[in-house]
Amino acid sequence: MSHPADSDLLLLVYDTIDADALIRYVRAASDGAVVTFDGCVRNQSHDRATLYLDYEAYESMALAKIREIAAEIHAKFAIDRVAIAHRLGRLQVGETSVFIAVSAPHRAPAFDACRFAIDTLKRTVPIWKKEYFADGAVWAEGEIPPVPPAASPEHTSKSKSAS
Amino acid sequence: MEKAATAVRVSVLFFGRLKEIVGAAEHSMEIAEGASLEDLFSRCAARHPELAPYRGSLVATRNREFTAWNTSLHAGDEVAFLPPVSGG
Repeated sequence: MSHPADSDLLLLVYDTIDADALIRYVRAASDGAVVTFDGCVRNQSHDRATLYLDYEAYESMALAKIREIAAEIHAKFAIDRVAIAHRLGRLQVGETSVFIAVSAPHRAPAFDACRFAIDTLKRTVPIWKKEYFADGAVWAEGEIPPVPPAASPEHTSKSKSAS
Repeated sequence: MEKAATAVRVSVLFFGRLKEIVGAAEHSMEIAEGASLEDLFSRCAARHPELAPYRGSLVATRNREFTAWNTSLHAGDEVAFLPPVSGG
């Protein structure tokens, strides 16, 4: 049994993520499992002590990509509901940057879907973090998202209908 | 005789280190209709030469979808050249 994707809770936020609210949101009487992923700001990066992180996003596209992830895990796994919140702006060490909750009648698909969601988010959602240290700041090394193969010449010259 | 290609206006968004290089989050640019994302990046790199070394690590988007670099542009397109993503 699967809810349509429009019953999922998918958010970009600039304040503290309310993890309990996300868990309550996905949890229903027919569920036997809720699996969560809590991504939090580490106190160091490559042996340098982190002061804080700044996250920025291509917000409209990021939200669209998060919706695609939710739709994909509904299609792939026998889950109930999905909640995904990613925080943007300045985050201090120990704060939650991303939280994912997946409910399902049984635990295995909930674990699988939650893992798939965070792995895909980190590879495909246009969000960037800059790490600040006592002696400077760097953009975090990221992942290059997979891109469709080059279009054929006929396609490129008449791609008006492409959405 | 072929007519010269019509110029179209597109908006180009910059994020992360590219935004720092360009010094702006968005440029409105004119380019010949049918020109590719690659052509548009070359124009940006001509204005901001420090962009050029990043070309190999960027992915292109057109209207919020990852797109091949040879995709052609149309009036009103929203384009972005994205550095490797590091959310999560």
